[in-house]
Amino acid sequence: MTDSHASTAPKARPETTPQPQRSEVWRLVVLDDPNRMNYAVMVLRRVLGMEEARAIKHVLEVHETGRSVVWTGNREQAEAYMFALQQWHLTAIIQPHETG
Amino acid sequence: MKQVEIKLNISAVAPLLDVIKQAADDLRTTLAIRANFPEEDVEFIETWTQDLMAAQNSDVRALLGLFDAEFFEDGAISIDSNNCESLLRGCAALRIRIAHRWLHELPVELIEDEDASVADVPEDVRLPFATYTFLDQIQKIILEHLNPAVAE
Repeated sequence: MTDSHASTAPKARPETTPQPQRSEVWRLVVLDDPNRMNYAVMVLRRVLGMEEARAIKHVLEVHETGRSVVWTGNREQAEAYMFALQQWHLTAIIQPHETG
Repeated sequence: MKQVEIKLNISAVAPLLDVIKQAADDLRTTLAIRANFPEEDVEFIETWTQDLMAAQNSDVRALLGLFDAEFFEDGAISIDSNNCESLLRGCAALRIRIAHRWLHELPVELIEDEDASVADVPEDVRLPFATYTFLDQIQKIILEHLNPAVAE
């Protein structure tokens, strides 16, 4: 990201809040929204550093099925990406990665 | 991106600015897209929302700043690497808000049609629709200059 305010999630996680058992691997999912496809492609490229062809594939998947898993990895990074995508007005959620 | 100057017809743009300002007022207290949160903790959600709101307002202010007193002298807006990302996000936020507030009764196909004419929509929403299209065009111009490979 080249943007100064679009890269980090808020840091105000209360230390006293008990955290539920967490998956080690999380999925970042983009959901359908009213943005133009070329805008969404640009956002995925800028936020997640995707190649153009891959970003287009994800955006088409969102358009056709309503969702696309655009990244998997640790929770902290997933949260940061989710926040950055929301700053670009894309609808994003994170989910624990189900295996097996 | 290199600096891009766009010359606009002041008398055509002026009425659109009224819609932009109304949408911008809404966005002072409302996120363009409903946020999802990774935590259920109230304090965390509040911080997350406030940070999104602050960023959104900063972007919308950047866009409104294009249409200052100088714009009404020469009709020109200037876009460069310093403001292009804010303007892209500001356009996105305002377009979504305009669609939500004024265009929600129009068919989705019409809203998604980049070639749709103002004459295709009912008279009472023509101005918001023209504003929605205008912001789309600004966004498209920025995308073309930001990275030609991304633009259609």
